[in-house]
Amino acid sequence: MSSHGNTVDPKKTVLWDAEYHGHDVISTRSLGFFLYLLSDGMIFATLFAAYGVLSYSHNYFGGPTPSQFVHPWYTFTQTVSLFLSVLAYGMGMAAMKNRNRGGLISGLLGALVLGVVFLCLDVHDMTDLARQGITIATSGGTSAFIILTQVHAAHIFFGLIWILVMVAQVSSKGFTTDTVGRLLSLRMFWHLQAIIWVFVYVFVYLWGYIS
Amino acid sequence: MSSVRGYLSGFLISGLLMLAATYMAATHAFPPFGLLMVITVCAAIATIAQTYFLLHIDTAEHNIWNTVSLVLFIPLFVLTIGLTWWMFSQLYLHTMPAMAGMH
Repeated sequence: MSSHGNTVDPKKTVLWDAEYHGHDVISTRSLGFFLYLLSDGMIFATLFAAYGVLSYSHNYFGGPTPSQFVHPWYTFTQTVSLFLSVLAYGMGMAAMKNRNRGGLISGLLGALVLGVVFLCLDVHDMTDLARQGITIATSGGTSAFIILTQVHAAHIFFGLIWILVMVAQVSSKGFTTDTVGRLLSLRMFWHLQAIIWVFVYVFVYLWGYIS
Repeated sequence: MSSVRGYLSGFLISGLLMLAATYMAATHAFPPFGLLMVITVCAAIATIAQTYFLLHIDTAEHNIWNTVSLVLFIPLFVLTIGLTWWMFSQLYLHTMPAMAGMH
């Protein structure tokens, strides 16, 4: 980073440091975790690809298609609860910036409750489908549909556990390099779930309903 | 870490776009292909707004490598989905002539 704008003299340039000067712990961890999240994004790429190739009409084998079992306004309530959960988390992080521990914990708890609402709506939707006889075993199309949406739901589930862990850690340890770094990683994780949900919602639920 | 205003803008922009997309899909406001185009634009703008306002991905020097890795990730994501879909659409086209063109 320090080389920006400096002219480099090849005869005098030092190519490596003789000593270790240490790193900015939080930014190094954040970049590492961000790269991990991008590789998680590739899991979704393969699942979207599988859904793409298994959503032709012959893949449903004459059985139910998303245009028959998706309810756009029902799933829209899931969208709103997830976006509000992300907003609550963001508010918590803004409170952390002001060293307001109570504000951060309220934000985390708000994110937790709204995430639980999202997950309950999803589980209700899936049990409703199962009651109608629509499961992963029904056809290739429903299989791809259910696996993709439930892998996203599984991410939400583990995110909720992580939020609970952070509530406990912030309550007991306060703001340390470790807890703040973890909160920043969780922020990236949680916000990325909302971004992936935009794709799941628009291209799987809504597009499935239209076609 | 960012301001309350940034998080609110991200929430409002993406929320309203999803509301618009849901309304158009639920009422079948356009023919299917037109509808796909419109909801794709909604998804694209919502994604960009969330990436900027929530993930704080921008060109500021302190997190430039996050931005670079995200930009380099996009082609991998698009190619994985696009090439797989293209291969299978060709397969279906050549192995299931009776079902060609069906979506």
